[in-house]
Amino acid sequence: MTLSLAVPDILVARARSGDLEALEALYRAFETPVYNLALRMLRTPEDAEDVLQETFLEVVRSIKQYRGEGHLWGWIKRIAASKALMRIRRNQVRATEQFDEEAVGVQVGHAEGARGHEGPGAVAGAPARIDLERAFERLSETSRSVVWLHDVEGYTHEEIAEQMGKTVSFSKSQLARAHARLRRMLDAEGAAR
Amino acid sequence: MMHCTIDDLLAVKENEASAWAKQHLETCSACRAELDALYQRIAALKALPVRRPARDRWPAVRAELRVEQRRRQRRWGAWSLSAAAGIALLLWIRPGPGGRVDAAELERVKQQSATLEAELERYDPDARVTSGRTAALAAALEDRIAVIDGELAQVGTPQAPVRRAELVKLWQERVDAMQQLMTVHVTRAAYVGL
Repeated sequence: MTLSLAVPDILVARARSGDLEALEALYRAFETPVYNLALRMLRTPEDAEDVLQETFLEVVRSIKQYRGEGHLWGWIKRIAASKALMRIRRNQVRATEQFDEEAVGVQVGHAEGARGHEGPGAVAGAPARIDLERAFERLSETSRSVVWLHDVEGYTHEEIAEQMGKTVSFSKSQLARAHARLRRMLDAEGAAR
Repeated sequence: MMHCTIDDLLAVKENEASAWAKQHLETCSACRAELDALYQRIAALKALPVRRPARDRWPAVRAELRVEQRRRQRRWGAWSLSAAAGIALLLWIRPGPGGRVDAAELERVKQQSATLEAELERYDPDARVTSGRTAALAAALEDRIAVIDGELAQVGTPQAPVRRAELVKLWQERVDAMQQLMTVHVTRAAYVGL
């Protein structure tokens, strides 16, 4: 589903001057993409709503610093991702991985029998959407964030590393690990049918 | 036979594949299928439905913005009223029989008010997420403090000369309101009777 995220310059100018109606219009324009991004990165709708609120408070406080370079959504998205990552750091005390971590470097091919992959026929066709969504939700918040920011939002590993305060290799290894786990979960789900 | 790892396939997607991985993919249909599955998985992630928030958070955002706005005004007001009141007091207040006692009490409540202001600053409620109800309670208290500040700014002028006892009472009301405001932020407004 595609959302229209274009907002008129005059609206941004009014928002920068503190016009409450313009700020609400900005909120209405971006509440769904911000919430969706936060929900994909975090575990609960409540956390995602809190990030939505924190993001817009920050947007209002900082909009005078937005110079109109680049798309407004890119600027807001960066704030939202940063708020979501801050919340993940707070949540990490109670976060637990739902699945055992396996070695990332395991071969995805068939010879070593690590997964019992049977060749091209076994992976042909896109996974059913609900299965993928469920599998994605079972990843850790950190893994989900890296996958979503990289594969869906188009962030580079360098950008993710900077926002997370980690290294590029951390981002790359999280992505590889997450894809390996997604694949295993989808295979298991397919086999259970 | 060695096959591509997930890292190899992700590197292919990023155009960073090793020579070995590129060559292997040309001859290994299983690994090519894995690469296709990776692309399909990513496409499917992009096609996941957009989720919308169940609750409207704008009222809470707006309420917090108003609280911040009032707080900024109050800080400015507190600064200006303290300067104005200082001058006015020099001009208009005459020591009475209980003047010494009142002066000490006035100094004490003013100090208490300043301490609470600093505590509130340290607590930094602006950086915290609050519910709409909490924000509304905080806004009501901010309003009350603003009204008191307005009265304090007026006292000691030719239109409203004042005795120290009245000043002490106003400052004490300010302290009470600030204590309640602190309670609202700390307890999330559970039991504040406004």
